[in-house]
Amino acid sequence: MARDKQKGRWWRYWPRLLFVLPFVAVLWVPFYNRIEPELFGIPFFYWYQLLWILLGAAIVLAVYVIDSRIGGGTTSSDGKEDETGIPGGTL
Amino acid sequence: MTLDVTATVVFCALFLFVTWLGFVAAHWRKADLNLLHEWGLGGRRFGTMVTWFLLGGDLYTAYAFIALPALVFGAGAIGFFVVPYAIIIYPILFLIFPRLWAIAHARGHVTAADYVRDRFGSRTLALAVALTGIVATMPYIAVQLIGMEVVIGALGFSTQGFFGHLPLIIAFIILAAFTYTSGLRAPALIAVVKDLLIFVAISAAVIVIPAQLGGYSAIFNAVPTEKLTLPAPGENSLGSYSAYFTLALGSALALFLYPHALTGVLSASSGNVIKRNAGMLSAYSLIVGLVALLGFMAIAAGVDKNPAFAAGFAQYGPNFAVPALFRASFPSWFVGVAFAAIAIGALVPAAIMSIACANLFTRNIYKEFWRPDCSETDETRMAKIVSLVVKIGAVVLILAIPQTYAIQLQLLGGIWIIQLLPPVLLGLYTRSSSPQALLIGWAVGTGLGTYMAATQGFTSSVYPLTVFGFTVPGYAALYSLVINFLVVVALTPLFDLLGKRRAAAAVP
Repeated sequence: MARDKQKGRWWRYWPRLLFVLPFVAVLWVPFYNRIEPELFGIPFFYWYQLLWILLGAAIVLAVYVIDSRIGGGTTSSDGKEDETGIPGGTL
Repeated sequence: MTLDVTATVVFCALFLFVTWLGFVAAHWRKADLNLLHEWGLGGRRFGTMVTWFLLGGDLYTAYAFIALPALVFGAGAIGFFVVPYAIIIYPILFLIFPRLWAIAHARGHVTAADYVRDRFGSRTLALAVALTGIVATMPYIAVQLIGMEVVIGALGFSTQGFFGHLPLIIAFIILAAFTYTSGLRAPALIAVVKDLLIFVAISAAVIVIPAQLGGYSAIFNAVPTEKLTLPAPGENSLGSYSAYFTLALGSALALFLYPHALTGVLSASSGNVIKRNAGMLSAYSLIVGLVALLGFMAIAAGVDKNPAFAAGFAQYGPNFAVPALFRASFPSWFVGVAFAAIAIGALVPAAIMSIACANLFTRNIYKEFWRPDCSETDETRMAKIVSLVVKIGAVVLILAIPQTYAIQLQLLGGIWIIQLLPPVLLGLYTRSSSPQALLIGWAVGTGLGTYMAATQGFTSSVYPLTVFGFTVPGYAALYSLVINFLVVVALTPLFDLLGKRRAAAAVP
């Protein structure tokens, strides 16, 4: 039973595997070190990397949302701390 | 260059406004500023939005807004490595730092050295962490001054001689005064103004300037082809490809180990605030990507060939590219806004950096080795004084030694700070690493990284590692970090064994 619990805990973090994507996307430099195809006159090298800023942000936010859905209702340490964050979560 | 009066008036007005804000900040979320976690961490109460402004203001510094486009202006595509860097810092922030925040919050840690001291029970290791943090941060504050000096010069002031340095010195006295009274609350509040000004200035630049120059295709057509992409590597070498990626990865791993970044992270009100920011801070990454493109716009606008800017380029080199571009493209009042954004962009990180150094010195050197029995009020008073000393040190550093040394020291700072990753990372998941092994790993990594930079005459942190005749040029910080980790992994079992033997021998 203890084993099941541990396995469950490990699986709880599966969305974080998505973080591999931005690393791979920018790791392989020869793939994007080119001028064509251009977008609005901007060479591929530049718009590809700028685009990955947005995709990277989307991945981080997606992982956050899935993570907190899965973790919702459990007694994760940061979930609990959030309630004590004094003047609300946003300010 | 002639003094631009309108721009100077706008610049000074905005500067006075943030000065007022800096002092008012003491009353914001009023608390006892004689407690170090209130003065130095804002009471750990910053929510998602304040943390977003604070970290944005803290991490994207004035020097970056000046030096980064200067690099793209001079060297081309390689300068764009900050974009992959700015992409991968956020998964790292998400994965590692909420957990660090939770430990630091539960155990009352204010600095990375506090945390390492607690996790591994070693004062020497904590001292190494504290000293590394302070030494790596000092030149980082100094280079902020370089950014500020360039915009003051671009307004039309002479920045030579004692009187030339006066505006800089006045700005730093103001900075020192409001940091002393308000602590981290001051840069947190000013960061809101700074970030909004930067957003306005950069958005205007990437819309207005291309329109003046005939669109983005005209801009990229004006750039020499060899600057547009990375040079293809020669035979038996990964050339600029591995340099590009290792610079991005190494800088990303180093970023949140810097004391000022960690201070920003620890002042958040919860781990979830950090996670949300890992997504939202990308807005600034986009700004940085666009800032880098300003370097190409400066090439297309031909600012370096404009006789009006010849003196500026002669004095400041490529760092003058962005200020010249703004003066060439915008009406005076907007130049004042943009330059104020850059100068305030120097104040925010400089304030947070000096607070972070002050926290390190007070908690991990003064209290640890000097006056273990000092009261909380004494501790905070000491930290306030040290924050002044650190700023004076940075000003002296920039005025007394040639600027190139400050830049080289800042380069070395990146190599030194990354060596803190093994204790910080391993401390999150295990306490079983031996502090002796971590200390030796730190020493070996620091020495090796410094040596690698020395072989390049301290002008580049890219080291051409050669394995079996195959060259892989890469960021010295990353290479020396790998060795550091290997030393820790290899020596930990050895020290464990020695520890057990000693324990066994102690039993009669």
